[in-house]
Amino acid sequence: MLELAIRKRIGEFTLALALTTPKNQIVALFGPSGAGKSITLAAIAGFVTPDAGRIVAGDHILFDSTQRINLAPQHRRIGLVKQNLALFPHLTVAQNIAYGLWRAPATAQRARVEHLARLMRLEGLVTRYPAQLSGGQQQRVALARALAPQPGLLLLDEPFSALDAPTRAQLRGELLGLQRELQIPMVFVTHDLGEAYFLADQLAVIDAGKILQADAPGKVLSQPDCLPVARALGVKNILPGEIVARTDAGCRVRIGAAVIGAPTCAFAPGTRVYACIRAERVMLLRADRAGQSSDENALDGEIVRQVNDGMTATLDFRATTQRLAPTQDYDLQIELPVYIYERLNLARQRAWTVSLRRNAIHLIRRDDETTDRLA
Amino acid sequence: MLLKNFSFRRIAFLTTVTLLVTFLTLPLIAIVWRALPLQAEGWLSDRTFDALRLSLSTATIAAALAIVLGTPVAYALAREDFFGKPLVDALIDVPMVLPPAVAGLALLMTFGRRGLLGPALANLGIELPFTTGAVVLAQTFVAAPFYVRAAKAGFAGVDRGLEQTSALLGVSDARTFWRITLPLAAPSLFGGALMTWARALGEFGATIMFAGNFQGRTQTMPLAIYLGLETNLDSALALSVILIGVSFGTLALVRWVAPKGLGLG
Repeated sequence: MLELAIRKRIGEFTLALALTTPKNQIVALFGPSGAGKSITLAAIAGFVTPDAGRIVAGDHILFDSTQRINLAPQHRRIGLVKQNLALFPHLTVAQNIAYGLWRAPATAQRARVEHLARLMRLEGLVTRYPAQLSGGQQQRVALARALAPQPGLLLLDEPFSALDAPTRAQLRGELLGLQRELQIPMVFVTHDLGEAYFLADQLAVIDAGKILQADAPGKVLSQPDCLPVARALGVKNILPGEIVARTDAGCRVRIGAAVIGAPTCAFAPGTRVYACIRAERVMLLRADRAGQSSDENALDGEIVRQVNDGMTATLDFRATTQRLAPTQDYDLQIELPVYIYERLNLARQRAWTVSLRRNAIHLIRRDDETTDRLA
Repeated sequence: MLLKNFSFRRIAFLTTVTLLVTFLTLPLIAIVWRALPLQAEGWLSDRTFDALRLSLSTATIAAALAIVLGTPVAYALAREDFFGKPLVDALIDVPMVLPPAVAGLALLMTFGRRGLLGPALANLGIELPFTTGAVVLAQTFVAAPFYVRAAKAGFAGVDRGLEQTSALLGVSDARTFWRITLPLAAPSLFGGALMTWARALGEFGATIMFAGNFQGRTQTMPLAIYLGLETNLDSALALSVILIGVSFGTLALVRWVAPKGLGLG
């Protein structure tokens, strides 16, 4: 369990966040550069002293400003894997892994190094120096070294950012397996949404020193709390609208010139909202199937622009009459895998009907301040 | 092709390089050329031997003093924040630009019989000027900044993240210094110590002002060379050749051994 409630001012920047996580979970701190993720890790590690607050890992109080507790990094029992790994270049792999075990007898050290080397698939490399290893191997050494003294908490600061994509994917999987096996709580910092989604039990979206939302990754992704979270999580369609009707079955929202059916919500008619629709949740309907389902909000229109990066095609769709965003030249952004793009012959076929399924629409309250920020 | 190879740029470059390299090496060659036919007496005179012994011991002690006093200062300058740090940082450099004769006079005005600290030291029975101790002091004064500069750069070049990682692994600051910071800064420290030693070995101005020129006691190699110019040119030539050899050896060590990290992986 990690309990975190800290406040720290550094010049103009104020970090003020609170986060409690259940036992042995992986928490991802997700946010843009400069959001305060790395300072948060530094505070947990004890390199930065918060102005006030409390940091507890398990039953181990690391920092408590009211009790005047501030443990030195040496006594925090925390493992850290930094972005640049910080391997000791003048020590071998074995010496690196054994570095935190110096109080233990030599035989115990050797046994632990052997065990970790096997666990991290580093056998046969223990006499090498870090510079003689591949990026993925270095990563495993850093992890083995951090785990060797059996820390109560593991911190990872963008641990995979320097690796190539295949190695990154493999190590993510290994890390997840390792965490489930060792049952050690982890906090990791990332600005890679896919990584956060894959690894985290709890996804904390941070911006400007604050936690905007912290929840299960799927929940945060499908139901962002507020506009900045929706933006940070890459929601492409954020459309201002207003609730026009509400029933037990769902509500209806006026967006631009259209009225769209949305899931049940707590907002009274007249409430100004944003409708968040992820680009990959917009469905293209084949002409012969259009208009068959009453549950679907169907819009006729055409594709006005498209970008294809080889894996995903991004389409800009403009409705013919039911314009959602009359001030733009398109209403919805749609993403689909390239194989579907090719199968549907989208390069040629421009006129389509799109369907906004109710449960693909997530409503968040819109107040005047955020309206201004959007404009 | 031929025209391109002999462009103006190329000709200008070759000319200046030839001029400069000749100017810098010809005097050295001249000394070696004059010294080669010397008889054994020239190489092995008492004066030569005394100067060699004295120079090696005083320069080594001066370098050791610079290491002992300079290492903590260099570390503090590289890592800590303290009041007056920019001032200390600037003051360390002063002896490097100060004319050695001024340095010698300054030392005399401080430790001399009628200097700032002279009477107090005399009361304790310590008289520094014109002793071997004065030679060491003059050399340390002039040469120590070379070590502090190099050591500071060496410490600053050690990634702080390594020290933080060490701390999180439960290792105390002192042990972190010995196991991480010092080994990684070692090539710079070694290079700095070598440069300091070489500078101390060549010290002339401050030494002759503050320590005088007494054979076996304060007459280091540069001083013996200076005196030899009037009394015994053979001895001066021999000592010069030795110093040239030491200079080249030092440069070679600094250039080739230090970057390899002293075999530290």
